[in-house]
Amino acid sequence: MNELHTSRTRELVAVLRRELGGAAPLPPPPPVPEIPLPPARIWPTESHRSSYAERTAGHTTALLGVGHCGTRYHTDLVLQFQAELAVAHGAVATELEADWAEKNGLLPLHTRVSSHREFLLRPDLGRRLNDASVERLRAEARKGVDVQPILADGLSAVACMGAGMELLGHFTRACEARGLSVGTPMCAHHARVWLEDEIGEIVGAKVAAILLGERPGLGTGDGLSAYLVYHPKVGNTDGNRNMMSNIHARGIHPNEAANKLAVLARAMIQQQTSGVSLDLRPLLAELGDAVSGKPQAPQARVRLVEVPR
Amino acid sequence: MTLEPIFPKILSVRRIPGADPALLRAYGADPGRHTSLGLITVDQDDPTYVALDEATKHAEVDVVYARSFYAGSAHASGALSGEILGVIAAADPAEIDAGLDAIIRCLEHDACFYAANAAGTVTVFPHVIASLGRYLSAQAGIAPGSPMAYLVAPPMEATVGLDAALKAADVTAVKVFPPPTETNFAASWLSGSLPACEAAAMAFAAMVVEVAGAPRER
Repeated sequence: MNELHTSRTRELVAVLRRELGGAAPLPPPPPVPEIPLPPARIWPTESHRSSYAERTAGHTTALLGVGHCGTRYHTDLVLQFQAELAVAHGAVATELEADWAEKNGLLPLHTRVSSHREFLLRPDLGRRLNDASVERLRAEARKGVDVQPILADGLSAVACMGAGMELLGHFTRACEARGLSVGTPMCAHHARVWLEDEIGEIVGAKVAAILLGERPGLGTGDGLSAYLVYHPKVGNTDGNRNMMSNIHARGIHPNEAANKLAVLARAMIQQQTSGVSLDLRPLLAELGDAVSGKPQAPQARVRLVEVPR
Repeated sequence: MTLEPIFPKILSVRRIPGADPALLRAYGADPGRHTSLGLITVDQDDPTYVALDEATKHAEVDVVYARSFYAGSAHASGALSGEILGVIAAADPAEIDAGLDAIIRCLEHDACFYAANAAGTVTVFPHVIASLGRYLSAQAGIAPGSPMAYLVAPPMEATVGLDAALKAADVTAVKVFPPPTETNFAASWLSGSLPACEAAAMAFAAMVVEVAGAPRER
C-alpha cells in the first residue's frame, strides 16, 4: 500500500546518503494510515410480495411494482426506462414541419414565438397569436360558430403530425352529427393551451377546442390532449376548461375521444358554462369511466425494447 | 546529519463549502463549475506544490491558487502563514475533503526537504514525481502521467546542482526558476524517463551536498 501512495524519493535519498558515507540509516517514514474498506453490501434475504401492490400496479402503465435486484432496478427495466425517456426527449425536440398545415388543408397560424427553444422557455409567448396570424384569422375564418376546433403542436409535434388529422376529422364529424356548427379547420404552430382563448374570441365561437400534443411522458411521445372552454376570451383560467388526455393508440382511441369531446361541447353550450362549474352528472351514460370516479380498467404496458433471452 | 528529512509542518487547513462567487473568482476558481474551496498553509512551499498536484490525482479538484510567500517561512506574516497558501476548488465539498486528505498524506509521508549539511543550514528538495497530476503537468507544459524531477536548493547550490543533474541523465529542463524566487531559492523541473529523472535528482542532491560542504573550492 505504501508504494502506491508515495514517491521513491525517500528511498533514493537513503541510498545516496549511504554512498556519501552516512552511518545511521534514515529514520523510517511515519506509516501511511490504512484506508478503510467500503462498507459491506447487505442484500435483502426475503422477498416481499403484496397482492394489493400487484393489483394496483395493474391499473397503470406507470413504473409501479416493478421489483428490484439488491438496491437497484433490473437491467431490463433500466433499458425500458432509457428507451422511453429517449422517446419523450425526441418528441419534445421535434418541430412541426413548416408547411404541414397547408399540406393538410388547414389554416396556418403562428404564435408570437420565434424559435423552438423560445417556445419551450416562454409559455406566455405561445399563448398569443402574432399580428400576421390575427389578421389572417380575421380575414379567412368563419365567424360565430358553435365549436372552433384548433389543431396545434403543443409539446409534441410528433403527436400532432401523427393522429392530429384523424382526431380533428372525427371531432368535426361528431360535432356536426350533434347539430353543432364547426369553424374553419386551422393549425397553430408553437402553441400552448391558452391560445384557444384568443382564437375563440376572435372568431366568436361558443366553444373553443384546442387539440394538441401533450407533454411527453415515459413512452408516450405521441399523446394528444384536448382542452375545451365555453365562451373563450383572453383571461380564462384552467378552472374554466375541461380536458381529455392520453388520446393515442395505446390510450383513448381518437374516434372514441372525438365522440366524448363532442358530448362535452354540446353540454357546455346547453349549460352555458365549462370547467369546474360544468355539471357532468347528466353525461354519465355517454362519457362513462371518465366521469364515473371509478378506478380505471387494468392496462398493459407496451414494451419499447425487447431483450434477447 | 546530512540528508536528514525535514518534515513539512501543516500550519492550517480549512474548507469553505459554498464559497461566495466573488471569493471564488478572486482566487481563480470558476463559480460556474466550483462551489467549494479547500485551503492549506504549510511551512515548506515546494512539497506543497507537489502535494497539491497529488490531490488532482485523488479527487475531482482543481488547484486554482498556489503562491509562495516572500522570503519564506522564517519571515512569515503570522504563526499560520508559513511559506505558501494553496487553494483547491471543486464542484462539491466531498471532493475538497478527498483532495485535502491526499495533500496531507503527501506532506506527512512523502514530499519533504532534506538537510544538505550537518547543521541543516542548507536544504535541498530533490523530489521525483513518477506520474504528474493535472496541476503540475499544466504548469510544466508536459502531459499528465509523465515523470518529472522537481529540484530546489538555495541559489548557488541549485545552479551548480542543475548542471550536474542535466549532465547525469537524459533529461531536459522544462522549466528553470533562477533566483530570486519569492522564497529566494532556485528551482528547476526536469522531464525524461522515470529512471533518468531519478538519476538526475540524485546527482542534483549529491552536488548540493558537495557545494554545501566545500563552498569555496573552485
